[in-house]
Amino acid sequence: MSKAKIMSAAFAAATLTATLSVTTALAETPSWCGPNQASLGLLDGFGGNSWRLVTTASGQEEAAKCPSITEYVYADGQGNTQKAISDINSMAARGIKALVVFGDAGPAVLPALTNAHRSGAIVVPYRVNVGGVEGENYAKFIGSSFVEDGVSWGNWIKETLPEGGNILFLSGPAGNSQGLDELAGMKQVLDDKYVFINPEPFAVTNWDPSLTQQVLSAEIAKNDKIDVIVSDFGPSLVGALPVFAEFNRSIPAIATSDGNSLSCFWQQNHEANPDFKLFTVATGNDNVRLAVQWAVALATGGTPPADNIFKAPVYENSVTGSPNPVTCRDDLPGSIYLSAEMADDAQAKAVGQ
Amino acid sequence: MAQQLQVTSSGGLPLGLGSVRFARGFVTVVASTLVLLLVCAAFAPSAISAGALAGSLPFAAIIAIVGLGQMLVVQQGGFDLSLAGGVSLAVVITTHMSSGDDGQLLSAVLIAVACALVAGIANGILVGVMRLNAIIATIGMNALLYGAVFAVSGGVPRITTPLMSQIAGGKTGGVPNSLLFALGLMVLVSFVLKATVAGRQFEAIGANPAAAHAAGLRVRLYQSMAYVLAQLLYCVAGILISGITREPTAFQGDSLLLPSVAVVVLAGTSLLGGRGFPISTVIAAFFLNQLSQFALAVGVPFSAQTIIQALALVLGIGVYSVRWKRSATNRAQQSNSEDTDNV
Repeated sequence: MSKAKIMSAAFAAATLTATLSVTTALAETPSWCGPNQASLGLLDGFGGNSWRLVTTASGQEEAAKCPSITEYVYADGQGNTQKAISDINSMAARGIKALVVFGDAGPAVLPALTNAHRSGAIVVPYRVNVGGVEGENYAKFIGSSFVEDGVSWGNWIKETLPEGGNILFLSGPAGNSQGLDELAGMKQVLDDKYVFINPEPFAVTNWDPSLTQQVLSAEIAKNDKIDVIVSDFGPSLVGALPVFAEFNRSIPAIATSDGNSLSCFWQQNHEANPDFKLFTVATGNDNVRLAVQWAVALATGGTPPADNIFKAPVYENSVTGSPNPVTCRDDLPGSIYLSAEMADDAQAKAVGQ
Repeated sequence: MAQQLQVTSSGGLPLGLGSVRFARGFVTVVASTLVLLLVCAAFAPSAISAGALAGSLPFAAIIAIVGLGQMLVVQQGGFDLSLAGGVSLAVVITTHMSSGDDGQLLSAVLIAVACALVAGIANGILVGVMRLNAIIATIGMNALLYGAVFAVSGGVPRITTPLMSQIAGGKTGGVPNSLLFALGLMVLVSFVLKATVAGRQFEAIGANPAAAHAAGLRVRLYQSMAYVLAQLLYCVAGILISGITREPTAFQGDSLLLPSVAVVVLAGTSLLGGRGFPISTVIAAFFLNQLSQFALAVGVPFSAQTIIQALALVLGIGVYSVRWKRSATNRAQQSNSEDTDNV
């Protein structure tokens, strides 16, 4: 590299740093950001879908709010437990002070987290339960309240179908704890008037759009009356819902999590389908923000947030329009999540479109 | 190697498996399918209702098309594990490069076909010319293809174009277009395999490469071509998936590898190579798909669904394994001059 190039690169870097520090200084430093300098690592067990890309970008955006964070690193386990473990070990060995971990592999990553914790790093696993004990295996676990999602859906179903009805509940892989928690939440508020017509505890879709399509067409053929479909991954329904037209039936009410493609599908199809009402909870990209806040607070000596469980807020309700009517941004990719705190355009950039 | 005993049977080209045995294979698949339909009618009529079939037939068509591709490779005694990557790459190229714009669909499809050609030729050179083990070579190719999948898509799904969903997901005269594609490809593959010189040579080489080589056939070229044609079929399947599933994931091929091998085996193609049975393969694809629809319609737990499918496969493979032994004995007693070639 020539001297001139080095100079211009250095100048650009300096300008960038100056701009960043000015921006940061203008924005108020949040209370969870303490005075001690620290480095932060975000570790994903699997980073290869749009939800994860938006979540990762959200985590980075949150960390950038704290000027005490001197270094930010990210590692993608690529769905490989061995790689996820080695990512944790290597970050701990590099002396990264705070580790925020999406432990997809569950308890399999606990020994690595425990080692990192014992070596003095602030370890904050989030969303997926990795087992272990707070203070012993890691600093803090930031869970997500899937039971709460189930309760929100259950309450809406009660409002929409006060006389009771048939519910078809779809979740991901067989036995996943998210689906079980959501079912427990729904059962808290729904009585015997509401019948779950899916196989116990939920119809398995692996959150795969094409499997969802096959499962849904079988269930529609089997059940003459489906009053509401509950799914914990709304966008995966988009490919499957046109199946109702094959049976000359209206798409029923749907309680699910949000996604731009689903909202746009509702906008295009609700007039032709009189029973198609839509209710969504936020899909929870912002779970990572709470985890980052905790990790940064513990690492820099800031004040930890009051919450330690992420509660996904209700997002869209096509019946009451409150808190939001169904919102479609058809100028942006279908694979973004308008419920996330991150700006819509920044999300579009994060998913590479 | 029972079937290799009879390869250089009387008169001209070796034809692989005998007509009696073939008829059994075809009858087995058709009979099992009919029994399954009867069982559906009795216990889960919803699984064979018009709406359910309209919903599930496109997926049967996809399995049929990848099954035809896998069949060509299995006919040459190989295995193509790069199917998952090939299908997924076609899916992401068609969805991402067109970005929901009908105008760019054609060029995206052409790029997908070009990629399939490159991958197929690479597989063909590795296995057919350089004589690498087919499983090793295609597993490596699969990893490369997935690299390309990530490069194109970043692992992110994207919504398909309206034109594509009309072509692949639409219907003509009440029949899903994807099914028409599958049937068309079946006719094409059958015709080429059974009624052209090249096809007859292809089967002869699969049945006994050494004998075919001695007879002056271009063994390496034909073995390589199996991988190229297979990739092209996977590519067609991937393009169709991008229209059938509105927002396909970047890993749509993963769930097709096992069914592709299953339908080839159920249709009676020997894993050791030799004759292929395109029509039986397509029927087997319908059978396999209908079996999962039946399990879904009966409402058995997911674990039981998986077990039912696995049992069907074990039974299917078992039937042919038993018959291999028996026909080997038969063959020792009979001459092989009765080979015919009805499909």
